[in-house]
Amino acid sequence: MGPMPKALKALNVFTSLVFAVALYLVLFYAPREAVMGDVQRVFYFHVAAGWVGALAFLVTAVAGIFVLVRGDHRWDQLALASVEIGVVFTMINIVTGSIWARPVWNTWWTWDPRLVTASVMELIYLAYLMLRQGIEDPDRRARFAAVYGIVGFISVPLTFLSIRIFRTIHPVVVGNNDPTAQGTFDMTPKMKLAFFFSLFTFTFVYITLLWHRLRLQQFKERIEERKLRALTA
Amino acid sequence: MWLQEAAANTFDYMVLGFGVILGSMALFILSIALRVRSLRKDEALLDELEQSS
Repeated sequence: MGPMPKALKALNVFTSLVFAVALYLVLFYAPREAVMGDVQRVFYFHVAAGWVGALAFLVTAVAGIFVLVRGDHRWDQLALASVEIGVVFTMINIVTGSIWARPVWNTWWTWDPRLVTASVMELIYLAYLMLRQGIEDPDRRARFAAVYGIVGFISVPLTFLSIRIFRTIHPVVVGNNDPTAQGTFDMTPKMKLAFFFSLFTFTFVYITLLWHRLRLQQFKERIEERKLRALTA
Repeated sequence: MWLQEAAANTFDYMVLGFGVILGSMALFILSIALRVRSLRKDEALLDELEQSS
């Protein structure tokens, strides 16, 4: 692997700094929510992690289109790198939601449409990672993953819209809440700042991790090619 | 908890939540670093093989 580009080093520093600021805003600057108490602070990074998951899967779907149209293998590398990050952050989103729900809904899990659709989305992309491993031919694997990534993306808007089209107890952050929603709250200006800054920060966390993961993938494929050449020589 | 006057004491849940967030992110970064290290070892081995042949 070549030396780290200066832009990536700068991005590492910038992302670390904004992440530290986001932590400060979420833990100390935003006021304690009047009813739920401190656990509500998890909400800022819970939503931001969900946003990163959706963004990552969107990038995978777009990269999949480019794989099919242009047949360029680099788009497949991008799609794979993005899915891995999306799976990690969707997992964070689901687990932190469960932790928030325990004191607020009095349960770790309920068969609510949002929880179910988010979990199905996570399973779809976990399957993406597993199924890729089963295909030896790189071109066939890239085409399969591209189609899977595009079709699998249907689960993302479905998850986003689930709390808007189905009867649910999950709060809606942007838009009107279902009357049956539990754990809703009005954001004060300080809360709004912490919330939007968290979204901004996690977007940069995604970009930084994607770059690192992409470099890893390119390095891995170069080593695999060299191994193949060494074996056939 | 909705009829109470003071905020609920949910500090432990908050700590657990941030532990999951920061721990998962740290594990992912660590996994990338470990995979890079493993590939660097493979690269060094391939260099040795190429030089000896």
